[in-house]
Amino acid sequence: MSKPTVGIFGLTGCAGDQLVILNCEDRLLDLVALVDIRDFLMASSDNQTECALDIALVEGAVLTKKDADALRAIRKRAKLLVALGSCAVWGGIPAMDRGMDRGPMLEEVYGDAGAGYDSQAAQALHEVVTVDLNITGCPIEKEHFISAIASLLNGDAPLYPKYPVCTECRMRENNCLLIERGLPCCGPITVAGCNARCPELRVPCIGCRGPIGDANPASLLAVMEEKGYNREEIVNRLRMFAPQGAPQ
Amino acid sequence: MKILKLPKEKLDLFASVVQQFGELHAPVEQDGKYVFKRLTRWSDARLEYDRTILPPKKYFLPPQESIFRYRPGEGFVPVTDGLDQRIILFGVHACDVYAMNILDRVFAGKYRDPYYQARRKNIAIIGIDCLPDKNCFCRSMRADFVDHGFDLFFYDTGDYYQALVGTALGDDMVQATGSVFEPMDAAEIDDYKRRSLNKRRAFQLDVEIRDLPEIFEMEYESELWDELGDKCLSCGSCSMVCPTCYCYDVSDDVELGSRAGDRTRSWDSCLFYDHALVGSGENFRGPRASRIKFRFYHKQRGFVAEYGRPSCVGCGRCSNACPVGIDVVQVIDRLRRVEDVASR
Ligand code: SF4
Ligand code: SF4
Ligand code: SF4
Ligand code: SF4
Repeated sequence: MSKPTVGIFGLTGCAGDQLVILNCEDRLLDLVALVDIRDFLMASSDNQTECALDIALVEGAVLTKKDADALRAIRKRAKLLVALGSCAVWGGIPAMDRGMDRGPMLEEVYGDAGAGYDSQAAQALHEVVTVDLNITGCPIEKEHFISAIASLLNGDAPLYPKYPVCTECRMRENNCLLIERGLPCCGPITVAGCNARCPELRVPCIGCRGPIGDANPASLLAVMEEKGYNREEIVNRLRMFAPQGAPQ
Repeated sequence: MKILKLPKEKLDLFASVVQQFGELHAPVEQDGKYVFKRLTRWSDARLEYDRTILPPKKYFLPPQESIFRYRPGEGFVPVTDGLDQRIILFGVHACDVYAMNILDRVFAGKYRDPYYQARRKNIAIIGIDCLPDKNCFCRSMRADFVDHGFDLFFYDTGDYYQALVGTALGDDMVQATGSVFEPMDAAEIDDYKRRSLNKRRAFQLDVEIRDLPEIFEMEYESELWDELGDKCLSCGSCSMVCPTCYCYDVSDDVELGSRAGDRTRSWDSCLFYDHALVGSGENFRGPRASRIKFRFYHKQRGFVAEYGRPSCVGCGRCSNACPVGIDVVQVIDRLRRVEDVASR
């Protein structure tokens, strides 16, 4: 049987998730023994840009018409499309400005030339095409990428935690930054998988992995307001990585 | 039961001798809170702690553990690493010992869990009596005293410890220390009684658990559950820190490029959205209100029906760990309160 074909792509993002893949150093040889990576611009200048793909992994958000066209073309080529990282899954940092007037922002950054630029409010991949699997994180966790490939090769979807960062944080028996120190920790509504990396280092979670499926941001916001935080500041914090993370 | 006394100045000696029975773990301080940890020095032990962030449950049912490996051609191979490790948990409070006795009924009763049982056999417990703080209600839950489930149990009476010997292993520990344990004389009986009375008087919280299951039954449709559902974050903290929450989830991690892998179990919580989600897509407890309600019902009512008492031991951890301040004592008080229905 021939090896499954894979393509790895970046739209508008920081390339951090593709870097995580390249950083799976000790697993890369195993990986290329199992799959045939045909199209991966960040790693190779010799790519097949038209071939059909069994798995396409796409990083970044859709910020331009060009992004949207590229994504639709990838979707056409791919049996399975995987969103890679918080920008692809949620819109991420670039989606922070959703709802703001784009014209003046473009002008502020690019001056007169801004008006002619191909630029639109950031969208997550699923808002443009059908996405089969999400691997969230800013950036993604190496283990989640490897387990995705391992499971997909077996015809399964990988299982990632659906519970929030607090659960992992408590499992690690950390002191709670929100309760004991009154810090604005987003752990209660942010999806786990990072093993509570930040609270473990006594730094409050800023929600980089995006919200859990049934997040209750309104209740968390109320708690933070009780602790004396400014509503707008907290709403901005909650929506920093995912517009869906903030109360409506 | 044998009751002896240990002069306080001999505790260090006892602690050093007892290490021949296993690796010594005790509460140590962590930024103002306490955690059970392996001791590097006996002087790190904090026997006058309030409560540990996680209960001793973590030793018997770890947050995450590999239960077996599977490999084509080899089948299932149980992971038994560390199960025979001898550990001594020094300084376990009565409520936490009580909680272990409750877990025994779940994991060593009708359905036997070999991993849990192996650890329960190999991990010794030296209990220590404590005084309640503002969040403790173990007395109300009848868990402020234990008569089994430990190897030794110490009562601090000021100048010396009174030691209850619970098992043959506890007795071995006493014997190994030579003559430092002494018999109690008549005058010292009063020391015990005094301490017992002082402890009883120190409780600031009191909840009535008689007929509580019945009241829960009647209040099934109370608007309280929706209120709690609006507040709860489903963060799972209350379940993680609870000494008697025993739900776990099981998942398979397949290795890259093979059909072999590892089966892991990890702590789960009935507050999670997918706890009662089944293969067909049906979710028996979809709304958050029904999940938080379930937690209280399971602790205070369902467990009573199954095992004859609530599974809550009144340790106060869940109320301390809830980011939105959901407090089990307040919930029970609120349910018990007589309210004029007309004014609701
Ligand atoms: S520190 Fe943050 S992530 Fe950890 S338990 Fe507290 S709120 Fe949750
Ligand atoms: S703790 Fe929060 S901010 Fe830190 S890595 Fe995890 S999800 Fe991201
Ligand atoms: S329900 Fe709360 S108070 Fe009761 S045993 Fe569990 S953590 Fe302790
Ligand atoms: S700790 Fe509080 S907010 Fe978190 S799941 Fe439990 S009741 Fe809900």
